[in-house]
Amino acid sequence: MKHILLTLSALCLLGVPAVASAQETEAEQSVAVEESVVPETAGDIHVKVKGLVCDFCARALEKVFSKQEAVSDIDVNLDTKIITINLNEGRTIDDATITQLITDSGYNVEGIHRAE
Amino acid sequence: MRFLFLMTLCLFAVSHAEARPVSYPGGWTSMITNNGDRNALHVHYSPTAKMSVGLRSEYWRDDDTVINAVQVNNLLKRWNEEESQANIYLKSGIGAASRDDDVDPAVFTGIAMDWENRRFFTSYENRYTKAGDLKDFYMQSARVGIAPYIGDYGDLHTWAMLEVDHSPQGEDHFTVTPMVRFFKDVHLVEAGVSNRGDVLFNWVIRY
Repeated sequence: MKHILLTLSALCLLGVPAVASAQETEAEQSVAVEESVVPETAGDIHVKVKGLVCDFCARALEKVFSKQEAVSDIDVNLDTKIITINLNEGRTIDDATITQLITDSGYNVEGIHRAE
Repeated sequence: MRFLFLMTLCLFAVSHAEARPVSYPGGWTSMITNNGDRNALHVHYSPTAKMSVGLRSEYWRDDDTVINAVQVNNLLKRWNEEESQANIYLKSGIGAASRDDDVDPAVFTGIAMDWENRRFFTSYENRYTKAGDLKDFYMQSARVGIAPYIGDYGDLHTWAMLEVDHSPQGEDHFTVTPMVRFFKDVHLVEAGVSNRGDVLFNWVIRY
């Protein structure tokens, strides 16, 4: 029992420096994200989502959007909190529908950007 | 009775995490939870992102009691922030408790809340259970966790967590359980050992 407790305590302590280095990394990334928050790919829709904190959240949005005939697939970036919606050729999906789908899934839309 | 219950757990072999008792619209979740006091199976369906309904079965090994119930979980409030999320849930169930030849109606209800970002996790939940003369107890638990690294979507996510359980009616009022959580794709697995030497093993699948 002691060994298990010590091992887990060590794991927690080891996580502290990792937190600091990860925060620095995240800070660097956030600058990069601001500069390239929406890669310009024709036909793509980029949606900034609030509350996207884990894989279950990301998977929920994938499942919900995969049921849409207009959507071929989506890509979820947990670092930037941006989901990229790729559409099937000749199909479209309006902002109101995107917002509704995300809201109904339990998350909030912060912004929608469509590539020219 | 205990053997049958464990066999049932093995047969279903799927489950879901109480910290997130509601899934996405149309989502199913299953959860097996095992600790020093009980083995439980909970399978639920979420028609919306604000509620889920399912079946729950519990085996309490100290008094050899089984509770089978229909459980409804409601998301009372969610805070979606840019880097975090917080939730408050109401979880309630109604069913029957049985021990030997005795069967009594059973009800339980409780509040669960959590806050997490990609680095830290904290949660609290309580529950009051009343099952005629068979069960009448209150319990609560709290948990903190830290992720030693932050993985991308689809990666193996790892958490170090510490859970404290408080059961005022129990012999040892407090139980402390350090554990690790592994999270990959639709699977969430937690394993730990409490200060009483009891093994905790939880397995959640969301589909």
